Amino acid sequence: MKCVTPLGLYGVLFLAFVYAPILLVVVFSFNANPINMMIWDGFTLDWYRLIFGMEAKAAESASYIDSTAQLYAAVRTSFVVAFATTAISTLFGTALALAVSRFRFRLAGFYRGILLVPMIMPDIVLGIALLIFFVTIGANLSIGTIIVGQCTFLISYVFVTVSARLALLDETLEEASADLGATPLQTFRRITLPAIAPGVLGGALLAFIISMDDLVITYFVAGTGDTTLPIHIWGMLRRGIKPEINAIATLMLLFTLVVAAAGLYFRQKKE
Amino acid sequence: MLKRRKTLALLALLGAPTAFLLVFFMGPLVIMAIYSWLTPGLYGGVEWELFHLNYGRILGWANTRYDQFDPVYLTIFLRSLRLAALTVLSALVICYPAAFWISRMRPARRNLALFAITLPFFVSLIVRLFAWVLILRPTGFLNQALMGLGLIETPLEIIYTDAAVIIGMTYIFIPFMFLPLYASVEKLDPALIEASGDLGATRLQTFLRVILPATAPGIAAGAVITFIPALGNFIVPSVLGGAKVLMIGNLIEQQFLSARNWPFGAALAMLLMAGVLILLMAQLRLARAAQGEPRR
Repeated sequence: MKCVTPLGLYGVLFLAFVYAPILLVVVFSFNANPINMMIWDGFTLDWYRLIFGMEAKAAESASYIDSTAQLYAAVRTSFVVAFATTAISTLFGTALALAVSRFRFRLAGFYRGILLVPMIMPDIVLGIALLIFFVTIGANLSIGTIIVGQCTFLISYVFVTVSARLALLDETLEEASADLGATPLQTFRRITLPAIAPGVLGGALLAFIISMDDLVITYFVAGTGDTTLPIHIWGMLRRGIKPEINAIATLMLLFTLVVAAAGLYFRQKKE
Repeated sequence: MLKRRKTLALLALLGAPTAFLLVFFMGPLVIMAIYSWLTPGLYGGVEWELFHLNYGRILGWANTRYDQFDPVYLTIFLRSLRLAALTVLSALVICYPAAFWISRMRPARRNLALFAITLPFFVSLIVRLFAWVLILRPTGFLNQALMGLGLIETPLEIIYTDAAVIIGMTYIFIPFMFLPLYASVEKLDPALIEASGDLGATRLQTFLRVILPATAPGIAAGAVITFIPALGNFIVPSVLGGAKVLMIGNLIEQQFLSARNWPFGAALAMLLMAGVLILLMAQLRLARAAQGEPRR
């Protein structure tokens, strides 16, 4: 029985609204027309060739070609920052989640509450607070300040993800392990750690994606020399809409989808 | 002995992250609060002297060092409130039917649909906004489509208007509105709607008396977590609003990067945060009251 209800029709429109803009960018990235993206001028990979520094025919008529060296530097900075922040925030976030859910202490509730604040406060407030702080203590704005700045809120995301996993974990398993003579460290390594590993991995991937995508915090605490990829693209947008931005955006899309799919997969493994 | 070891283990877990957050999270917030009461230096920077008019200036109070009475900043605050509220409203209108649509699916399809809606949330923000620049600009997709259909003759000026900012913010905050809304729609018992109809209520009555009250907690939660990032947003207005649509976020950014009045920017940020905290506490109270939990 196939009948289209008004609600079903609306649902299709809703998904179209969510996905059409993204698909548009992907389609445009293959359009050979260098002047007007709206007019289809045949399929081309020239915009991709252009950002990889190869020769590209369609690009000859384009008025401005952004330096690929800057693009690569931005990509590198993004990865360095994302790996560093993921490592630090995963370590700290997991430690805090373990402390709050496995120990009874007076400040546990306070930690639970205060760790939500970085996620819900307006990011611009955190951004300028960090900028004022770094300038006041005389720190040079650099990759280091980007890493520290991003960690202040990424820790919270890891904390929440790992806490959710810990809440599902049966505490009697750990008690049984202790009763059978395992030391606390053995219990942690053999029971707790394997059980929360998917949560930790999920939290790490989430931190990685958010770090790669962060605009606001990075914008305020990045020095003049170090740009991350999103900030670089933002700058390109300000100078004008160029077809190669479509290609860069499509590649970023592909990358994010792979990481996000992996992350959601690990989260689904919860049950 | 055992207790001591436990305490040591706890301190080992808490120590480094606590120190990190105290220095790099609490520290900056405290310094920002102090800055908001300092005197702006003539050429950027600050003088460490108490200055009480950073906040007054936002409300438009005249003083000897600055302009006469001029509520220009207050106007920007009010515009930000209006744009954020309209964003919440349009996200709500778009997501509400979609939440019903998905809640009536079979479980396997439902999970797939939920996945499909959360996925764009992971796509880079700047990429999603770039897509809307392509759609909304004068030679963009929307104008070309409308002109192709013969509906308009000259391109509409959508980009760099309030409307463009609202569209952009609605689009990027859809998951924020959708997920809490869905959580409360899913709990809604279809039998209640049937019963209401059986007892003679019209569809409108059923909606107003049964469906709306039952999903109110979801609406409130979605509204608050959409409103907060929309209010302080400065990326969307600077990409889609150009120089014409200033929001609080842009005003704060300007104080730091071009006007170089850091104390004033800090005061703006403090006010923004105070507004957000008040909103969150009100929402928490409402949620608790709705759940019937005893208030602490």
